[in-house]
Formats: sequence, structure tokens, C-alpha cells
Amino acid sequence: MTKMQRSVRGLLAAAIAATTIVVPAVVSSSAHAAVELSFWSWRPEDKAFYEAQAAKFEKSTGIAVKFTPYVATDYNATLATALTAGKGPDVMQIRAYGGMANLSDAGNFMPLTNADVPNLAKVSAGMKAGAQGYTDKRQFGFPYSTSVLGVMYNPDLLSKAGVTVMPTSMQSFVSVLQKVKAAGITPLGNGTGYAPGLEQMWGALAPAYYGGNDFFNSIVAGSTNFNDSAFVASLKAETDLYKYMPAGASGLDYNTARGLFANGKAAFYIGGNYEISYFRSLNPSLKVGWFPGPAATSGGKRYVTNWADGAFAINAKTTHKAEALKFLNFLASKAFLTDAANQLGWIPPLAGIQSSDPAIAAMQQKIPTMGTPFLTLVGFRYGTPTSSSIMQPGFQKVAAGTQTVEQLAKSIQDGVATWYKPFTK
Amino acid sequence: MAKQGLKRQQNRFAAILLLPGLLTVLIFTSIPALTTLSYAFFHWKGFSRGGFAGLENFHRLFAFPFKDQLFMAFRHNILVFVGIYVIQTSLGILLAYALFKAPRGQRFFRTVAFFPVIFSLVIVGYMWQSILNPFYGPVNWFFHHIHWEFAAQTWLGNTSTALPTLVFINLWRWVGFPTIIFLAGFNAISTDYVEAARIDGASEGKIFRKILLPLLAPSMTIVTILTFIGAFEWFDLPYVLGGSSGGPAGSTDTLALMFYRLSFGSVDSGANEIGIGSALGVIIFAVVGIGATYGSKFLRAREVEA
Repeated sequence: MTKMQRSVRGLLAAAIAATTIVVPAVVSSSAHAAVELSFWSWRPEDKAFYEAQAAKFEKSTGIAVKFTPYVATDYNATLATALTAGKGPDVMQIRAYGGMANLSDAGNFMPLTNADVPNLAKVSAGMKAGAQGYTDKRQFGFPYSTSVLGVMYNPDLLSKAGVTVMPTSMQSFVSVLQKVKAAGITPLGNGTGYAPGLEQMWGALAPAYYGGNDFFNSIVAGSTNFNDSAFVASLKAETDLYKYMPAGASGLDYNTARGLFANGKAAFYIGGNYEISYFRSLNPSLKVGWFPGPAATSGGKRYVTNWADGAFAINAKTTHKAEALKFLNFLASKAFLTDAANQLGWIPPLAGIQSSDPAIAAMQQKIPTMGTPFLTLVGFRYGTPTSSSIMQPGFQKVAAGTQTVEQLAKSIQDGVATWYKPFTK
Repeated sequence: MAKQGLKRQQNRFAAILLLPGLLTVLIFTSIPALTTLSYAFFHWKGFSRGGFAGLENFHRLFAFPFKDQLFMAFRHNILVFVGIYVIQTSLGILLAYALFKAPRGQRFFRTVAFFPVIFSLVIVGYMWQSILNPFYGPVNWFFHHIHWEFAAQTWLGNTSTALPTLVFINLWRWVGFPTIIFLAGFNAISTDYVEAARIDGASEGKIFRKILLPLLAPSMTIVTILTFIGAFEWFDLPYVLGGSSGGPAGSTDTLALMFYRLSFGSVDSGANEIGIGSALGVIIFAVVGIGATYGSKFLRAREVEA
């Protein structure tokens, strides 16, 4: 063998060796990591959960997902700017109802049908409305979780105060609050310092006073308005309970208020299912019971206020439509929603997924028979001023004694009537 | 001729040196400011721009339901300016005078006075929220301890105490800044005037009132203009402690908070109105711009040569 022949053979061997190493690597990369979907959210605290789910999805489909969370308060502006500039993510978490309806109406999200996402057919109409536009009523997202309002209680503190039967009407609720107070325990953990909390407290109590779905439908249609005596009574139902809040309730910020309940310093907290994970983060051994807002009168009807917390949507301009749809169906799957229910405390929009938390399971059970939409959030957040933006500081004015509930109702009506067409007819 | 050539060369060199700064201001300040100005004259649907709206956004801002909020926020800005200006300037002058006269430890006390200024306002806000917490805060604990129950207020939760409390926190954090400016002013005054007055038999009080204070006018101009701009653009502290609605019940609302609320909406209460928000931005810009320009002109005219 000449020197020349040895060199050629050496080169050939090197080429074959290189091919054996490089070619499978190229094939492997094109089969598994050819597409990476971008996925945005306003929940930095859920990063570990979403990344674990993305890994599961990638394992079964070969499609990678990059989860990017943004600060909740900046999310609307960040997403809107990116979508308008044509640089939005492939898949994203969107806020429900008026929260992002303007983005839906502007054609930023891909319209979805039951054929695209079969599990959409199993979601209630009220929940689906959370991911529709204000003018464009097509479906733009899969609503992933129901938020529920009600009354949470500490069973240990109640038994210490001698309360054995849970109240069902406002009258019996007030009796219990008085009994708890007499036992030297703060009855309500809520404060008036955190304005959005006052609207949520109202949301838990109000439907029993204004009459749930019938009133909701009438006011949305414009056949009644916020000056209605039933609505005024619902405002008063909340403000009458302020005297059972801790002394100095006006200086109580959101976390201190929730901390009072979580640390066993207050017997009741009126709010949403989403408070429970915070309570448990402060006090993992806390026992939490739950019941729906009490009836206005003994034997009256009770309601469970609920709404879609948000939805998952696809960018209308995505270049990975098929992969994005595959991922959206993964996010709408029973397996994903079960994990979310158990790990994030979600109340899934699909039947047959039971939360492992007893308080959340109790809420879930009541929605089908007692559910009613959160009036101000579902119906009147599509224009400025929203009913919420007037109601929240308005309750603080009532608490400070500078406004009456009648004046609050009138200010909501006058404010919303500036943009809500059914009120201007 | 040669002199003119040199001058031209110097001007060209100065222009080259100024160019990076000018470009930065143009790209990051002037263009965004002009863009905001243009936003005020268009219809908006969320973050999507619609057709030309003329002055409609301005009309809406001065009509129900925004008018009341606008005037209330403006009133708060004025109160904040007056409160901060009167107390902070007086305190700043006194502290600076004390440091100026301090026989020893001037550097140490100067650092102490300036120290809160370097803290992030967000940290300062949360720190004071804890200090003033009605349940576990040390302030109310102290008042309860000495049986001054009347003084144990819900400082940030009461509509009548929230704004003064924010002004106080602002003072605590910012008083070191005017102190340093005034101290520099005192140090810049020629000792000849003071010594001449002393020889003529003037007391320390008279020297302070008749010589030092009038010669401090240039420092006063700087502090006044900066306080005016800061007060009319006051955002971060009320946002951290009262949220975007200026809680409780709008008692700490300011023009900048209202601008933010209108332009970006709120997670807890909904929709935004970029057009009206931008109209308010234009008004804030005009108030601050005109106020600062005329204020500075007026104050400079009253300055005395040191």
C-alpha cells in the first residue's frame, strides 16, 4: 500500500465516521426539536408547573414549548404591544371577558371551533363567553378554570365559639358573627383597605339579594339598571357586615387580611377559591370550610357566583398553527386539567375532574345547580369606566361615611351609562 | 479670518460631542413624547388605534365621569407640592445649616441625612406599610403602649390621613436631597460677607436671615423646580401604597396615577382608554413644562450674585 492509498483510505474512514455521528444527530433534531412554541402567561408563580407539563407534551409529541411568564400587572400591555407589532407568542393565556375582549375583536386570536378543540363542546356557555370578543362573538380561547366566590370559615374557631350549624340565611349568618365576636374572636378577616376585595365580597353575597341570573339577564339587556332597589339592597348587604371586620379594617391590606384568616385570627373570610392556595402557603395545616353566600331571607335562594378565570388562545398570526392547536388540545385535556386542579387549585371547566381539596371540591359541586355569573366582571368590564372601577373605591367611601349605598348605585349607573348602549336607549 | 475658522472648527467639534446625547434624547424622550401627543387625537379600541378624533378625548376628559377624578387628582398634586415644598425645604435648610455649622462629623451626618435617598422607593413604601400597619406595626404598638389610643390611627387606610402620611414618607426619604443642595449652597457663599457682618456686630440669626438665606437663592431655585416637577409627576409612592386607584377611596389619587389607570387599565377593574390617558399626558406635560419654565424664570430673576 502506497502512502497515497493510505491517505485516501484514512480520509474515507474519517468521512464515514463523521457521517455516522452527524447524520443521526441531524435526523434526531429534525424529528423532535424542529418546532418550539412560545407560550406566554401572567403567572410567574406557576412556572415550575407549566415547564413540567411542557416536558410531558414534548415527550409525547416532539414539540418543544418555551414558557415565558410576565408580571401580572404589565401583562395586558406587554401582550397587546407584542401582538400589535406582530411579535406575539404562538400560544398564550388571555384574560376573560372585558379583560382582553378588545384584542379578540381586533382579530389577534385564532377563532376556535369544537372541531379544533373537541373539549370546548363540554364547557358551559357562561364559561365560554369568557373567551369571546365584545363585538365578535366567535370563540377565541379555551377557558381553563372557574373562579368561585363564597364564604370560607375556620371550623376549629367556630367550634371554639360554640357554632355547630353553618348559617344559611343572612340573619343566621349575622347571629353567628355576633356569637363569634362575643367569644372574643374576630368574626371577619376581610378589611376595607383592599378595594378589589370589597367587590369580590359583594359578588359572594349580592346575587341572593338581586336574584341571580334573572337580574343579570335583565340588567345586561338594559331592562333594569343599577338604581334598582334590589341592587341597592345587595350593596347594603355587604356594608352592613363591615362592623364585623377587625378594628382598623380600613388600614388592612390584602395580604394582612388574608393572613388574619390563615393564621387562625379570624373565623370567616369572604372571597374566592384562589385565596385558599395563599392560606395554605401561610399555614399548611389550616382547615378551611366553605359555603355559598347566605340567602337574603330564611329559606330564600342561594347562589354561587362564578366566572371564567382566563383562557388559553392561539395567535392568529402563528406560523405553527398545527403544533399550536395540538398544544391547546393538550392544555384542554382531562390529564392537564386534573394536574392543574390538584397542583394549582383550579376548578376545571370539564365535568368529572374532582379537586383533592375538600373546600374546592365543595365549591365545584354547587356550581351546576347554584351558579350565577359575577355581574360586574362578566357584564360590565367592556368600557370605561367599568362598574368595578366605580364600585371598588365607592365601597371605601361608604365605609368612610362619605357616601351612601344609594349614591354608590347611582354613580355606577351614571358612569356605565356613558358607554353601555342598552342603558342609553 | 483665522479666528472665525477656529470658532467654526470648535463649533463643529462641540456638535459632534453633543450628537450622542441629542440622539438619545430624541429617540428616548422627544419622539415618544410627540407620539403620546399624537395618541391624544385618535380613537382607540384597547391598544388598537382607530380614526382621527380631533379634540374629543380632551372633551371626554373634562366631562363626566372623568372630570371629578381629574380635579380631585389635580388638587392632591397641589397639596402634595405645597406640603412637600414647605416642610421639606424648611427642614432641608435647617439640616444643611446644622451640617454647615457642625464643628465635626459633617461627612458622617451628611451621609446619614442622604442615606434614605439611595433606597428604592418601592422598598421604602413597603417598609413604611409594615411600620404603619395597624395590627403589627411598631408605630401603633408604641401609641397603644403609652395609652395614646387616639394617636393609633389606620394611617394609610383613613381617607383623611392617607395623603399626609404619604407626604411624610416622601419627606423621610427625600429630605437628604435638598439638604445636600443647600449645604453645597452654604459652602459656596464667600466667607468675606459673613466675616464682615460679624465685625459689624451682626448676630448669628441675623447673618442667617440677612446674608446666608438670600445668597442661597440659586439652590432654592433648583429645589423648588425639582420639587414642583416631582410633585406633579408623583406616581411611585401612591401606586405602591394605594394601588392604581389611589386608595383608599381615591384619597391619594394623583394625575400620574390617573394617567396610568386610563392608559393601561387595571387587572382588577378592567378596560383602558389610551386616547383619554394620552390627553391627560399632554395636560400633565403642559402643566409641568409651563410651570417649570416660568417658575425657573421668575426665581432666577430674584437670585442675588454671591
